[in-house]
Amino acid sequence: MTPRIILANLMVRLRSLSRERSAMFFALAFPVLLVLVFGAIFTKPEHLNFDLPVQDLDHTAASAKFIDSLAADGLFKAIPVPADAGAVQYAKEHALTLVFIIPRGFEAAQVQRLRQGDFSASVAATYVYDPSSTSVTTKLQSLNAFVAAANQQMSGTAPFITMTAQSILEKKYRFIEFFVPGIIAMAIMTSSLSGALNMNAELRQKGILRKLATTPMTRVDWLLSNILYQLILATLSTASILLVSFAVFDVRLDINLWLPLFVVLEVFAFVGFGMVLTPIAKEAESAAGAANAFLFPMMFLSGTFFPVELMPPFLQAFARALPLFYVNQGLRASMIFADALVAAKCAAITAGVAAVVFVAGAMVTRWNREA
Amino acid sequence: MRHPDRQFEPTPDSVRASAAHAVEHAIVVESLSKTYGDLIAVNNVSFKVRKGEVFAFLGPNGAGKTTTVEIIETVRSPTSGRVSVFGMDVTTHKSDIVPRIGVLPQGFNSFDRLTVRETIQYYARLFGRRTSDVEGLIDLVNLKDKRDSLFVTLSGGMKQRLGIAIALVNDPELVFLDEPTTGLDPHARRAVWDVMLGLKRKGKVVFLTTHYMEEAELVADTVAIISKGEIVAIGSPGDLVEHNANYMYLTLKSADSSAIDAVTRLDFKPDADSRGDVKIKVSTTEDVEAILAAIKVTGRTLPGIDVRKPNLEEAFLSLTTDTGPDAHRLRRSAS
Ligand SMILES: Nc1ncnc2c1ncn2[C@@H]1O[C@H](COP(=O)(O)OP(=O)(O)OP(=O)(O)O)[C@@H](O)[C@H]1O
Ligand SMILES: [Mg+2]
Repeated sequence: MTPRIILANLMVRLRSLSRERSAMFFALAFPVLLVLVFGAIFTKPEHLNFDLPVQDLDHTAASAKFIDSLAADGLFKAIPVPADAGAVQYAKEHALTLVFIIPRGFEAAQVQRLRQGDFSASVAATYVYDPSSTSVTTKLQSLNAFVAAANQQMSGTAPFITMTAQSILEKKYRFIEFFVPGIIAMAIMTSSLSGALNMNAELRQKGILRKLATTPMTRVDWLLSNILYQLILATLSTASILLVSFAVFDVRLDINLWLPLFVVLEVFAFVGFGMVLTPIAKEAESAAGAANAFLFPMMFLSGTFFPVELMPPFLQAFARALPLFYVNQGLRASMIFADALVAAKCAAITAGVAAVVFVAGAMVTRWNREA
Repeated sequence: MRHPDRQFEPTPDSVRASAAHAVEHAIVVESLSKTYGDLIAVNNVSFKVRKGEVFAFLGPNGAGKTTTVEIIETVRSPTSGRVSVFGMDVTTHKSDIVPRIGVLPQGFNSFDRLTVRETIQYYARLFGRRTSDVEGLIDLVNLKDKRDSLFVTLSGGMKQRLGIAIALVNDPELVFLDEPTTGLDPHARRAVWDVMLGLKRKGKVVFLTTHYMEEAELVADTVAIISKGEIVAIGSPGDLVEHNANYMYLTLKSADSSAIDAVTRLDFKPDADSRGDVKIKVSTTEDVEAILAAIKVTGRTLPGIDVRKPNLEEAFLSLTTDTGPDAHRLRRSAS
């Protein structure tokens, strides 16, 4: 092993990368883009913060208080609709799917009921809605639940059944927090595997390996250079994914020592797979195909984009045979669930896979011209 | 002088003899064979390359030149036989040999996105030669204007010249150039010949592989002709012509049929071309005199004659054509 040679190789790789925009894009920008796009698509509904246009025809202190209470538990954000507008017309003009109308006499009825004990006093609230909208149903359910609770309160009797929610997870997490560790694992897998595979296939095909074989560089130098380069790439891409996730989505993820451990293990494992696949994909062109055939099932079936529990049982069993599954699970165990036991188990399995595959890959990597 | 390739017993005597060779010979190849499956790419080849000489390998496509050279460079492994460079066995001393040799592989290629200078610097670093004269090497192969151009933007000939510069980056004692001038324009080719002769002047050994006879004739001290994995002739260019093309061509300009008849009667085989010139293969100057005398007897005068000694190309063709030089000549006249 010669550090001088490894450093020279690293410089060549980093220089070449910095001069090849498409390679830069796929190595660094693409995973970040995925986070942004999927984060934007899936984050909103989890917030459950509906805009609720409200038209207050009563315009009293009581109606204002009621509207405030709508927003109090964070479910709705009341948007005032002018009292002199026709609600239906207004909804159409402003492309609203739901407008809640508090009728005149709201305060009067409330006073009559609470102060004078007249339990027959009531108000009829109206909502204007667009039945063709898919999201309106969810909003209506929430609104009905809210109204029911208000009625219960007004009845003055204690509720018979109350509900308390307890999550099976210690921490609540959103989709984006599930997604980010998956994207980190996917980005590392893709760049390590295709990096190792394409690099070797291309250098061999172009005859560069033949020239390198006539220099003092050894196979160990070569392998270490590749690994180090992939580690640098993996670190850069993990850092940029995390930075963007924190900045844009304010994710709550634990960053601890498990993360670098999983990054290192995953790089070794997938550089290993890349080296094992290289002799199969002899030409640079077929290397890309071989990489995809390997990467796609791994990506979709091992819980990168959605939990494997959503898949049929036989696919779940298959997922458990994929190395990426354990990286995903381990990263989530450490970043979301603070579950050191699962993280340790996954790290051990990934380390085992990495050791076997990397050694096998190093053995089949041809340094000289015999092939 | 004794021939160690005839001695296989490891007696103290032979050890001393091969040690003596290590001093005198940069490369010793003994009964080298290399097979790929059923194909015998190199078949029981033996030769030596002296220190300070330019050694040229000539042979048709697929003859086994690159295979042999790459075994000597420690890049491929021999199937059988022994190869030593500077007295060290190539299969066991790779790490001692590699720093002392420079290699231009056939069809040299390098990293697309490095500039000329960065590429040379990179290889210099691999050899631990931080102080290598990068600019001097760029100058040597005439790439000054291109020193900051990316490799991918160079022309084929420029890439090849960069490869030659890189082969010299570690100031090697022994330089292998596998078809260094293939694809170069005539100026660049001459510049590369100068580089080779300059290396020779500095006492370096150059192992050249080429398809160009004039190149071998001009720069090489020793030429080995290899065909179908076997060395069919080896010697100085002059010797090879002497021994393998031991004839002359007499050309009679615009000879008519009576002249041709006269030549045929003397048992020579005249060979008329489309311009009416007649070419006759002869062995001695007496043959030439006899033919001219016979024509004179017919009373005709000839507008001109030409007598030419064959060159290395003819020696090469005669050595590497299955059916010998005559078959080749007939093929040419038939077309
Ligand atoms: N890696 C290999 N696997 C199988 N056969 C090979 C391999 N390398 C060379 N050969 C075969 O060995 C023979 C000699 O090839 P080699 O490259 O040494 O020829 P060469 O004399 O350098 O030819 P050229 O002038 O075309 O460069 C050829 O028949 C070639 O097909
Ligand atoms: Mg060749």
